[in-house]
Amino acid sequence: MISLSEIDRKQAFRYMGLHGEPDAQMLNSANLCEKKLLSAVRPRYCWNIFQKENLKTILIGQDIQKHLENCNSVILFCATLSQGADVCIRQAQTIDVLSGMMTDAMASALTEQLCDEVEKEILSQFPEKFSTWRFSAGYGDLPLEIQPDFLRIINAEKRLGICVSEGGLLIPTKSVTAIIGLSDMPLPKSKKGCGICNLSKTCPYRMKGVHCS
Amino acid sequence: MNIRERIKNHEFILLDGGMGTMLQSAGLELGGIPEMLNFTNPELITGIHRKYVESGSQVIYTNTFGANRLKMAKTHKSVQQIIRTAIANAKKADPEYVALDIGPIGQLLEPTGTLKFEEAYEIFREQIEAGQDADLYIFETMTDLLEVRAGVLAAKEHGNQKPIFVTMSFEENGRTFTGCEIPAMALTLEGLGVDAIGVNCSLGPEELTPIVKQLCEWTKLPVIVKPNAGLPDPVTNEYHFDADRFGNCCEEFVRMGAVILGGCCGTTPEHLRALADMLKTQKPVLRKPEIPAAICSANKTVIIDQPRIIGERINPTGKKRFKQALIEHDTDYILNQAIQQIEAGADILDVNVGLPEIDETEMMQTAVKAIQGITDTPLQLDTTKPDALEAGLRIYNGKPIVNSVNGEEDSMNTVLPLVKKYGAAVVGLTLDKNGIPKTAQGRFEIAERILNRALALGIRREDVYIDCLTLTASAEQAGVMQTLEAVRRVKTELGLKTVLGVSNISFGLPSRELVTRNFLTMALYAGLDLPIINPNTESMTSAVRTYKLLANIDKNAVDFIAHYGGENAQQNTPAKPQSADMTLEAAVSAGLKSEAGAITGVLLENTEPMHIVNQYLIPALDKAGMEFEKGKIFLPQLISSASAAQAAFEVIKSYLCEHSTETVNRGTIVLATVKGDIHDIGKNIVKILLENYGYQVIDLGKDVSYEAVAEATEKSHAPLVGLSALMTTTLPSMENTIKLLHERCPWCKTVVGGAVLTADYAEQIGADFYAKDAKETVDIAKKVFNN
Repeated sequence: MISLSEIDRKQAFRYMGLHGEPDAQMLNSANLCEKKLLSAVRPRYCWNIFQKENLKTILIGQDIQKHLENCNSVILFCATLSQGADVCIRQAQTIDVLSGMMTDAMASALTEQLCDEVEKEILSQFPEKFSTWRFSAGYGDLPLEIQPDFLRIINAEKRLGICVSEGGLLIPTKSVTAIIGLSDMPLPKSKKGCGICNLSKTCPYRMKGVHCS
Repeated sequence: MNIRERIKNHEFILLDGGMGTMLQSAGLELGGIPEMLNFTNPELITGIHRKYVESGSQVIYTNTFGANRLKMAKTHKSVQQIIRTAIANAKKADPEYVALDIGPIGQLLEPTGTLKFEEAYEIFREQIEAGQDADLYIFETMTDLLEVRAGVLAAKEHGNQKPIFVTMSFEENGRTFTGCEIPAMALTLEGLGVDAIGVNCSLGPEELTPIVKQLCEWTKLPVIVKPNAGLPDPVTNEYHFDADRFGNCCEEFVRMGAVILGGCCGTTPEHLRALADMLKTQKPVLRKPEIPAAICSANKTVIIDQPRIIGERINPTGKKRFKQALIEHDTDYILNQAIQQIEAGADILDVNVGLPEIDETEMMQTAVKAIQGITDTPLQLDTTKPDALEAGLRIYNGKPIVNSVNGEEDSMNTVLPLVKKYGAAVVGLTLDKNGIPKTAQGRFEIAERILNRALALGIRREDVYIDCLTLTASAEQAGVMQTLEAVRRVKTELGLKTVLGVSNISFGLPSRELVTRNFLTMALYAGLDLPIINPNTESMTSAVRTYKLLANIDKNAVDFIAHYGGENAQQNTPAKPQSADMTLEAAVSAGLKSEAGAITGVLLENTEPMHIVNQYLIPALDKAGMEFEKGKIFLPQLISSASAAQAAFEVIKSYLCEHSTETVNRGTIVLATVKGDIHDIGKNIVKILLENYGYQVIDLGKDVSYEAVAEATEKSHAPLVGLSALMTTTLPSMENTIKLLHERCPWCKTVVGGAVLTADYAEQIGADFYAKDAKETVDIAKKVFNN
């Protein structure tokens, strides 16, 4: 299992909308939240590899097809910080709203870090293959509605305790499903642009003419 | 032979092996619904069952792991049809017993998920009722103790007294995905009266060894073990233990005392045959575990083997601010009291939410749900109303303490059966219809009476705690030593754990803290296990810690030094507020919470509360808001200021509660995160800011139904309703809520916000206002309320 010992604070502060250097008060709050969060989470993941043609029920829409164009096999993975993160966020919110927001942003940053580690770990098992960047439901025209099937296919409920709420959200909330394509041949470099992001209309970064990452 | 007789005779019982494994090897399609094979290929299902029967399995699990109304929604088959057909398929294989297999619902319960406990109960009830033809019910692969409790209660209440088995899935750290630990599972489920408990899935026999060992130490019930065939290969996901290795490894479980065995993922009829062969060479081991007095939440067990602090602050008696919070349904206030006490050192929290003005039954449920959603500290449910008690017991996730029963017939007849049914521990008060006996002997006799009645109902001796009752020293000085003598006798002669609320001792005396603290130490020496105190009063908590040090409980003074040694030493002298030369505006602007609170306290000595709000707090927030709009500060700093203002506001609220009937209210606003959405951070930020500006916010929480929003708006006649949604998938809920509000509350305006919302979309769904952030919501509120 992957253990994460520190949080990418820079990213967490960005999620909170903090620009520039945090002041002492903010750092103090960050220290407290980070300590509690790291002891509350239990990062976990599971994955499987499939032939692309066996995943017809979830590879829906043009964007994912294009993304996996030159790939023959596909990795599905699911990662979660566990319910501990949700409890920690709720508890922080009780203390005050800044701690709540800080803990939530830190948990989001930590989820991304977890995904990076998981991706590295999985891909290390396929040193001879070339891979795409990870694609998730909700990007472009890949609908969130695939989540129940996605979880079923890799048995994520049983393996990780993750489910999809009736509203289509992954629960525990700090959970991610992702798709990575594998190919025997080098893949053309493609960037994860704003066009496929469903926040592109309201994105505060875009409004300022910059990018989120 | 009835399966309960086999258990009584202490015989081995052999369950079956993996169903999923067999279906996959028979070519079940990826992501397919295995329960449908009961109809499309019943021969296959019966064939698999039969192979297990031929291998020696006595109990066959029906192919119904996911056969609940949520998971089967898309199949066009009813739960009844699926379960009845599956039972028939199992019976065709002619096993000794057919067990209705029930897996997790597939939705997480509130507050992490959106499924309500009551809904979970209904889902299980439907399965249980459909499965009346089975010989027993088995809940397996469970990870959430609260969900298990819903299922077991449904089976107990609708299952015709058929046997109930429960197995949960643990990770190598001895916890389930939701954090449930083995002692908590054992205490809770044995308390609820199931027939056998154990573990299945997630791990292989080797990894399960320490987990089964711990379980055997914590339960007197028969222990079930149904492991996977080792750990799966990470790439192929295949299990690698062959049948012989599996059978040999399981021998260890028999040695530990497990008597009900089977296999889970990756096991086949061959594995089960190996298991059957192994059992033929063994004899069941008789276990005699000594289970200590203990209570628990799902994630934390508190063993009463030394003094444990029960925090008394969640109680409205004599606290105007607390009463106001209850009347206003302000659960945040209650949660804050919970967190403060835990951080100060409470091991258990007493929960008393009784107030004539409110529906105590409903409030008890709300409070228990909310508190257990943010902490794993076990609770003591404190009420005189049986309805409220049962409401709390039903949804409590673990084994709580019931506070209290007394020696009166009525009390014993109503409270003790509830304690038994829900498997709680109970506090017995040594009083009866004649009042509190003056002598230790009189109280001892009542304690004995309560104990005997509890034992007769099947409540364990270890679960009866006695409160010998503290009388005030000023009124009954001679009674003090009687109380302590009663504590000593109950402890030594009856062997029971003791409870005392200590603060009453000093009522009517000067230097109360001094008196209470010394009495506490005396009581601990007399044998008090569970002092009910205010843990926020450092002299009380430190008296308990010091006692533990001197009584050689806190070995090597580890805990004592952790709290009072080195760098912590200074923290325990109360810090002086460094507010002499700081203004409230400066404290709010810098986001300094404790300073803002302290300065407000000083200001209140000679300033009208409303003057502080209007002349200090709101201008400071306005300034922060303006700087935020100009981009000079960012959301976190704005929120930091809001948090400081919130602390100042809390001081003002408490002051108003104590000194007048006036409240701050510039207008009432209903807030909700819409149905289906559970992201409520944004809404909470809006709430705090609105409250800081003096608006009365009715916060309905997250995942709120359309009707609940309309109902609250109707009831409060609020002129403004704020709705938030984070996900595109939940925007339709927002639209529906607005539609219903238009129908039922035509007077109210709506303001909407959330990451994926735009002004255009807000207009399209009929909202009156779109707010891009919390600051703008305040501006809109000012406009709507014209203030």
